[in-house]
Amino acid sequence: MLPENITAIVARNDRWTGSAASEPHEAGWAREAVFFVRALKAPTGPQPVVRVEMSPDGMHWVAEGSEAPMPARKDEIVALRVRHFGGWLRIAADFDGPAQSTVLVTLHLKA
Amino acid sequence: MTQTIEDMAEAMRLAMLRADPKLSRFDPLQRIISHDMFSEGHGGWSQLVGNYQGDLDTMLPGYAQHTSAMLSTLPHWDAGSHGGMGSSYALKIATRPRRGAQNAAIKRHTFRHRGKIRFETYFTFKPEATELKLGETDVRAVGFLFDLQSGDSDAGGERVMPHIRFLNALDGEHVQKWQFKRSNTEFQPVGEGDGVLSHYHLAPEGWEDLPGGRQRLCYNEIATKINWTYLCFDFDLDTMMPLALRCNDRELDVSGMDSIRMPAMKNLWCMLNFVFFAETDTDKRAFLYVDSVCISGDF
Repeated sequence: MLPENITAIVARNDRWTGSAASEPHEAGWAREAVFFVRALKAPTGPQPVVRVEMSPDGMHWVAEGSEAPMPARKDEIVALRVRHFGGWLRIAADFDGPAQSTVLVTLHLKA
Repeated sequence: MTQTIEDMAEAMRLAMLRADPKLSRFDPLQRIISHDMFSEGHGGWSQLVGNYQGDLDTMLPGYAQHTSAMLSTLPHWDAGSHGGMGSSYALKIATRPRRGAQNAAIKRHTFRHRGKIRFETYFTFKPEATELKLGETDVRAVGFLFDLQSGDSDAGGERVMPHIRFLNALDGEHVQKWQFKRSNTEFQPVGEGDGVLSHYHLAPEGWEDLPGGRQRLCYNEIATKINWTYLCFDFDLDTMMPLALRCNDRELDVSGMDSIRMPAMKNLWCMLNFVFFAETDTDKRAFLYVDSVCISGDF
């Protein structure tokens, strides 16, 4: 049997502003993960860094270390590659003031 | 006593089923259409995405909230991974942490025979354990539905959608009863142009009680202990009517049940879709876990 791999859509057309994060995703079976973040609309205001977070329980989160600048233009895409993350993954970003971005966040997991 | 070849074949089929630890917990009909154990992957249970046209903003809000199901070990902050019945994994359908939020997972097939089908599963549900409380009224409902359509050569073709849910709690009241839905939600055109319609059939309106459908399930005593519950639903694809519903030790009365019905749509012939769904009654995520699913048919 081939090893499992899956594409999960963890945020689709979600408008991120303030402290934003994707929904928690359980991925303990996966040895590697890649998040893609695409801006579906033209982002407004200064765009922050987006970071990968991991968690022991899906409720308490800690930065994993991987970061990328949020996409600066409509349809720009950024990727964050992760290994050795335990069981839970999400991405998070902190927007200042009225800054915002409408995102598609895709999580690719591979056993 | 005279045994026919059919009798002997059936006896052998049952003997083989009962000797198989993975299938013995089910009572499948003659032909197994699919048997999903989530230690082997997602098995085709995917995200129920809504229809859209031109712009994702045209998707109805009920669908826009949906996310992808996960392979879960039911990990808990206080006791670690709970695991499934026969492996470490179950399928997990998680809502967002907003009262009334819903999520769903769908498996899309078509059918080749118009007859009885059987949908069996072992499932459980819990809220996210964000509080040191029982949380037994945090999950509003869990359930399943079929999305079916007759064949393209059938006269008077219909799309038929039997819906069943266990209404666990509503507005904080611990209701614990089985319900069905037959009233349709209005179709709306989505986006600019012709041809794309959408209706959010999981909307909160229109649920009716199954007679005698109150049932207290094994919830256990804290938010991080779970027990698996058996459910079996029989449906006839010929008459497009429900035949039987069983949950653990209870046979439920489906004689008065009907489905959401509408004229056949132009591109859904012989559709045989299965959906699990969950809904939260509080600002906590609701989790529906599915250990395994066996779908079988009489053909």
